Amino acid sequence: MKKVATLVAVFMMSALPAFAHHGWGGNEDKLSNVTGTVTTGVSLAGPHATMKIKDAEGHIWDVTMAPPNRTQEAGVTEKLIPVGSTVMVHGHRNKNQKTYEIKVTKLTYNGKLYDVYPGMD
Amino acid sequence: MREILQWIEATSLGHLMRESGPWTYALVNTAHILGVSSLFGSILVLDLRLLGCWTRVRLADLASAVTPVAATGFAIAIATGSAMLATKATAYVGNPFLLIKFPAIALGLINVGVLKVTPAWKARATRELSRGEQRQLAVIGGISLACWLTAITCGRMIAFW
Repeated sequence: MKKVATLVAVFMMSALPAFAHHGWGGNEDKLSNVTGTVTTGVSLAGPHATMKIKDAEGHIWDVTMAPPNRTQEAGVTEKLIPVGSTVMVHGHRNKNQKTYEIKVTKLTYNGKLYDVYPGMD
Repeated sequence: MREILQWIEATSLGHLMRESGPWTYALVNTAHILGVSSLFGSILVLDLRLLGCWTRVRLADLASAVTPVAATGFAIAIATGSAMLATKATAYVGNPFLLIKFPAIALGLINVGVLKVTPAWKARATRELSRGEQRQLAVIGGISLACWLTAITCGRMIAFW
């Protein structure tokens, strides 16, 4: 019984250093920055806040942010960034280089850094 | 698939989900888990009984307690699941788990229909069932278990695609 409990504890702890939420497995460990113009503004609906941006090469990126409330607490509201503005997002892009999707931890808009996951790169 | 999902996203349910605050999805998601756990927890007991566990418990008695819990859980799961899907339905375009989950649910419901018309099930309260009839019910119980396990597994995996 003790062994089982230890095993369970080890399993749970091994999961802790990963991100607080799921779905990062398909994304790179290294960090990338993407700069683009907003084509679809911030949406605070669903499991995660999202928006779409278009980079210099014309690729439309699906930007996935933190859960809605956390994103809002970090100062990123639906009204903050008008469509057409330039933003820089910082996070982990999809491992598939043909998929323009990035899960971001930080966002820079209008010279201000929005740190959605404080303490995390 | 894209057209159907676009239509679902455009429904008033989708609008309501997107425009009612940052906690809506989280709360609906919580209710979904309650619905699914009520459905699966109760149906698991019934399916195991059909498969031959706890034969000392009368099937009719067990079914009378389990069925309303399962049906209520299913109703909650369907309502909250539709709402979650409608929130950003187009985000699931090309998600293979969605394409396994919904047929699994449909098959699970067809299986319920089959059970309801099976003479052995109808006779559960009135007489002892023969070996053959018990085996029939065991097959239906096994299919049920497979359907709901598949639906739950694929449902969870949708978020990881």
